[in-house]
Amino acid sequence: MARRGLYIAPTAPEDLGLWWYMPVDAPKAGSGIRVNRSAAPSRWLLYLSPLATILLLLLVWQLITAFGLVSAFLLPPPAQVLDAFAEAVSSGLLAKHTLTTLEEMFFGLLLGIGIGLALGYLIAKVPLLEFILSPIIVAFQSTPIVAYAPLLIIWLGSGVESKIVTTAVIVFFPMLVNTIAGIRTVAPQLQDLMNSLNATPWQTFRHLELPSALPVILAGLRTSATLAVIGAVVGEFVSSGSGLGHLVTLARNLYDTPLVFVSVFTMTFIALSLYGAVALLEWRLLAWRRRSSA
Amino acid sequence: MSRILALALIIVSFTVPAIHAQEELQDERILLTFIPNIQFAPFYVGIHDGHFARHGFNVTLEHLQEPEVLDLVAAGHANFGIVSGEQVILARAQARDVVYVFEWFQKYPVGLVVQGHNGLGISEIGELRGRKVGIPGRFGASYSGLTALLHSAGLTESDIELTEIGFHAPDVYCSKVVTAAVVYINNEPLQILNRSLAGECSDLGIPDVFPVADQVDLVSNGLIVHSDMLERESEKIQNMVSAFGQALKSAIENPARAYLASLSFVETLPNDVEFIEAMQQFSMEQAAFLEPLPSREDIAQSRLDLRRQLGQSFDFDILEQFDVLLNSIDLWDAKILGYSELGSWESMLTTLELMGFLDRSEQDLTASFSNQFIAGSSE
Repeated sequence: MARRGLYIAPTAPEDLGLWWYMPVDAPKAGSGIRVNRSAAPSRWLLYLSPLATILLLLLVWQLITAFGLVSAFLLPPPAQVLDAFAEAVSSGLLAKHTLTTLEEMFFGLLLGIGIGLALGYLIAKVPLLEFILSPIIVAFQSTPIVAYAPLLIIWLGSGVESKIVTTAVIVFFPMLVNTIAGIRTVAPQLQDLMNSLNATPWQTFRHLELPSALPVILAGLRTSATLAVIGAVVGEFVSSGSGLGHLVTLARNLYDTPLVFVSVFTMTFIALSLYGAVALLEWRLLAWRRRSSA
Repeated sequence: MSRILALALIIVSFTVPAIHAQEELQDERILLTFIPNIQFAPFYVGIHDGHFARHGFNVTLEHLQEPEVLDLVAAGHANFGIVSGEQVILARAQARDVVYVFEWFQKYPVGLVVQGHNGLGISEIGELRGRKVGIPGRFGASYSGLTALLHSAGLTESDIELTEIGFHAPDVYCSKVVTAAVVYINNEPLQILNRSLAGECSDLGIPDVFPVADQVDLVSNGLIVHSDMLERESEKIQNMVSAFGQALKSAIENPARAYLASLSFVETLPNDVEFIEAMQQFSMEQAAFLEPLPSREDIAQSRLDLRRQLGQSFDFDILEQFDVLLNSIDLWDAKILGYSELGSWESMLTTLELMGFLDRSEQDLTASFSNQFIAGSSE
C-alpha cells in the first residue's frame, strides 16, 4: 500500500497558508510533482513537532529556574506562571482585559481592512491616485506607530476609540498594498475577454478581479490579522484603563512578573489564533485553486 | 559679536564638567526615571560641579521606566537608582531585595489640578464626587497620591469617574475633558498656567492645586540600592549618599547655578542670551550671599527674591523651566536632607492597602529603608 505523503502545492507556499492546514495527500498522477517518500516525515510527527518544540522550551525554562541561573523575579518558573494564569482566569481579570483587546482588534481590523480594500481597489484601477496618495501613505506607514499613538490618544480620548484607530492604521497598509498587487495581477487578455463579453463592472469584479486577487489579498489579511494585536496593545500601552497592554503595565508596576508572562502569552495566543483562522479561511476560499491545479 | 563670544564662554564654562583626576574615578551609572529634565538638576550639579568626582565616582545618568530602574538594581545590573517609595514597598513584596537609603523628595510631588475659582468653583476634594478625574494610569505615584487624597476627604475611587489619560494632563485638562487631573505639582500646573495665560486653555483660568503633601505625608522619590550592598559596599553607598547630598544642597541653595549646570544635560532649556547672562550674575551673587552661612529661611527668601527680580525682566515662557526648578526645590528642602520618616512609610503602606495592592501583615517596613548613611540622623 502506498504511503500518504506530504502534498506539495504547485504554487508559492506563502499563498497557501500554514503547512498544518495543508492536506496530507499523495500527488495525483501526472501532476508532475515528485515526492521523496522515504524523506517525508510521518503525519503524526508533523503534527506533534510543534508540541515537542514547546515542551522542549518549557523544559529548558524549568531547568534554568530550577538551578537558579536567573532570579525568580526576572524569570519565574513555569509553574508560577501557570498559577498566575489560573488566578487571572478564576478572578475574571484575564477575561476582562482580553475582551477589551479583542473588541479593539475586531473593530480596528474591520475599519483598516475596509479602507485598505476600498482604497487599494481604487488605486489599482486609477494609477493617478497612486501618484497622488502614495507619498502620504508611505510617509504615514514608515513612521513607527508608537511615535504618533500618543497623538491619537489626545485627539480621540483614552477610550477604545483611539485603540481602534491605532489598530486600523497598522492593519491598513498590508491590506492596501496586497489589494493593489492582487487586482493588478489580473491578466490583460482576461480583462479583454470580459470586455468582449460586454461584462458589467460588477461582473468583471465578481468573476475575474476578485478571484484573481483573492490569494494576494488573503496573504495581506494574514499579515494584518497578526499586526492587529500590536496595534491594540501599543494604544493600550500609551494610555488605557483596560486591555492586555494595560494588564502588562499594571503587572510591571506591581512587580508581578508571572502576570506579565500570562498577558504576553495571551497576546501570542490571540495572534496565532487569528493567523490560523485566516489561513483556514484561505484554505476554504481557495479550494477551487487546489482543485484546478490538481 | 563680542557679547555673543562672551556668552559662549560663559556657557562653555558651565557646560564642560569640572576636570578631575579621572584615573581614580570609578564608573557608576545612576538610573533615573522620566526624561532629562530640570527636575533632575541635583544630579547635573553633582556631575558638573564635581561632587560625585570628589567622592570617587565618574557618574553617567540613564533614564528608564520606574519598574525597570528597580529591577535592574534588584538584579545587580546597576548599583544606584531613583524610584518612588511605594515602588520599594511593592517590589519588596515581590522578592526584590532593595533598600531606600536617601529620601530626595521630602514632600510628595503629586497633586490634583481642579477647575476651582476660575472654572467650576470646586473648592475642596469632597466636591469631586461624581466628577471626571484624569490620571496617567492606575499605578505608580499618581495613583497612590490620588488614593491618599481621596481617602483624606472620605472618598474612594468609586465616588469619582476616574479616566486614564496617560501623561497628557495639560492637554486633557485644557480641553475640559476632565474636571480635575492628577499631576506632578512642581511641573504640570505651570504648563497649564502658561497655556491659560496664552489663552490656550479653553476658557479656564489659573487652576487650583490640591497637593497630596498638604493632607498626608507619603514617602516619595529617593535613592535605592540592593540590600547586599549595605554590608558589602557600605563605603560606596556612603560616598554616593554624601556626594548626592552635597549636590542637592548646592542646587537648593543656588538655583541659578543649578540651572546653568543643567544646560548641557537638558537640551530643551531656554538659553536666551540675556537670560543666561542674568542667571550667571545671580549665580555669582548667590555664591557671595551663601558665604556667611545664612539660615534655611534666609536662603528660601533669597530664592523668592530671585524669582521676583527675574519676573521683572523675563516672560513667563522663558521662566517656566526655572519655575519648575524652584517648585522642585520646595519639595526637596528639609532640615536634614535625605532623612526618611517611618511615619511616611506607614502612610504609604496604608495607601497601598487601600488600593488593594498589599497585605500589611506581610510587610516589614523597617527593612525597606535606612537612614544610616544620612549625616545628622540619629541612626
